[in-house]
Amino acid sequence: MNGIELREVWFKYPGSKEWALRGVSLEIRRGEVLVLVGPNGSGKTTILKLAGGLYRPSRGEVTFWGSNIWEVNGSKRLELRRAVVYVHEKPILLRGTALDNVTFAPLLRGVPREEAIKIAEELLSDTSSAYLSRKDRREMSAGEAQVVSILRAVAAGPKILLLDEPTAHLDREKRVILTNLIGKLRSEGMGIAIATHDHLLALRTADRVVIVENGVVGSVGRPSEILDCC
Amino acid sequence: MEIVVRSLVVSGTATLLASTWSIVLAYLLVRSPRTSRPLIPLLEGMVGVPTVLIGLLLYLLLSRQGPLGVLRLLYSPQAIVIGQAILITPLITSVAYRVLTHSWDMYGELALSLGAAEGQAAKIVISESLSGVAAAVVMGFSRALGELGVALMVGGNIRGYTRVMTTAIALEVSKGEFELAVSLGIILLLILAMISLTLRFLGRLRE
Repeated sequence: MNGIELREVWFKYPGSKEWALRGVSLEIRRGEVLVLVGPNGSGKTTILKLAGGLYRPSRGEVTFWGSNIWEVNGSKRLELRRAVVYVHEKPILLRGTALDNVTFAPLLRGVPREEAIKIAEELLSDTSSAYLSRKDRREMSAGEAQVVSILRAVAAGPKILLLDEPTAHLDREKRVILTNLIGKLRSEGMGIAIATHDHLLALRTADRVVIVENGVVGSVGRPSEILDCC
Repeated sequence: MEIVVRSLVVSGTATLLASTWSIVLAYLLVRSPRTSRPLIPLLEGMVGVPTVLIGLLLYLLLSRQGPLGVLRLLYSPQAIVIGQAILITPLITSVAYRVLTHSWDMYGELALSLGAAEGQAAKIVISESLSGVAAAVVMGFSRALGELGVALMVGGNIRGYTRVMTTAIALEVSKGEFELAVSLGIILLLILAMISLTLRFLGRLRE
């Protein structure tokens, strides 16, 4: 399996009596865009966080390139986790400017500072966001912060990118930039999973659409087969 | 002046010691919810333990007939340091735990999702919540500086050796020397206000 696989995953939040996910099986493959749609509280974010190795399943297993992430030792788990990056719905930026934030991800993975800055500057420039470089996190709008948090994740160079409601704070112009970025990353072989309510984004980017309802995966198919609007 | 310096050194050392283990403990508790669930209410309950009770327990431990009597620490500044460090551990741990929990929910998960190792994530979480953690330390220092029970019971209020501001204030009041007692009280308040203001200033500079 060239990517992430959730096999019969059940998940319950600590202290909760309700299952958030019930027997979810799903694959996120490299070079493909998978879009999860469904109402609020249906389990889309939980699926992404499980796929990102941030939550441990209550039952079932999550495998990264065939290895169960929760059964391998620390260094192997870190290596597997580094192949995947999850981007929160609410943009969380660290102290400093946009450039500091985008540089942070490659630095964390041991990339030399000069190279990390080059990666960050290129990304900001390619997405018409160079004007944000020197802007402090406190001066950014929610949309700008969201763009920066997505670029920071891309700068980490993951094989699989998990985006949680990536267009939630974006205006039309930035949505177009994001759609183009997703297309470019997919063509370079990155796998992308997106949880969204934005059907237009799903239509423009998805290879497969999955409907999630009440913690269960429903229909799976091409966007034109699944989304009502088409 | 000598009393003020001694108070600052004794309580400062106690705070330094207690902060070292309390911040580590708080972080470990944040990372292990199963342990923290029963332990945090217990620690929070211990925040209000009367200082004389800790003083008494420590007195029994350190007195000549006590299990730690051989250390000959009773009526020494070291005994006050130990007592104050024990006293403020629950306070620093529980406040730091709240701060770090909030910070972990935001920055810890972010760090892990970006591929941070556990140590890198800890560094990011503590760095992003430095002003909150510093506030917990200051609260601990204030409590240590202002407590009387431990300093009196295991320090003995020996002039030139274990007399600190609070024990000196108590002594002067008992002698009817209110003027000196009030002066020491004002110094105590000024020190605490200065620390608080410095921290706020440093917090702003950092932002």
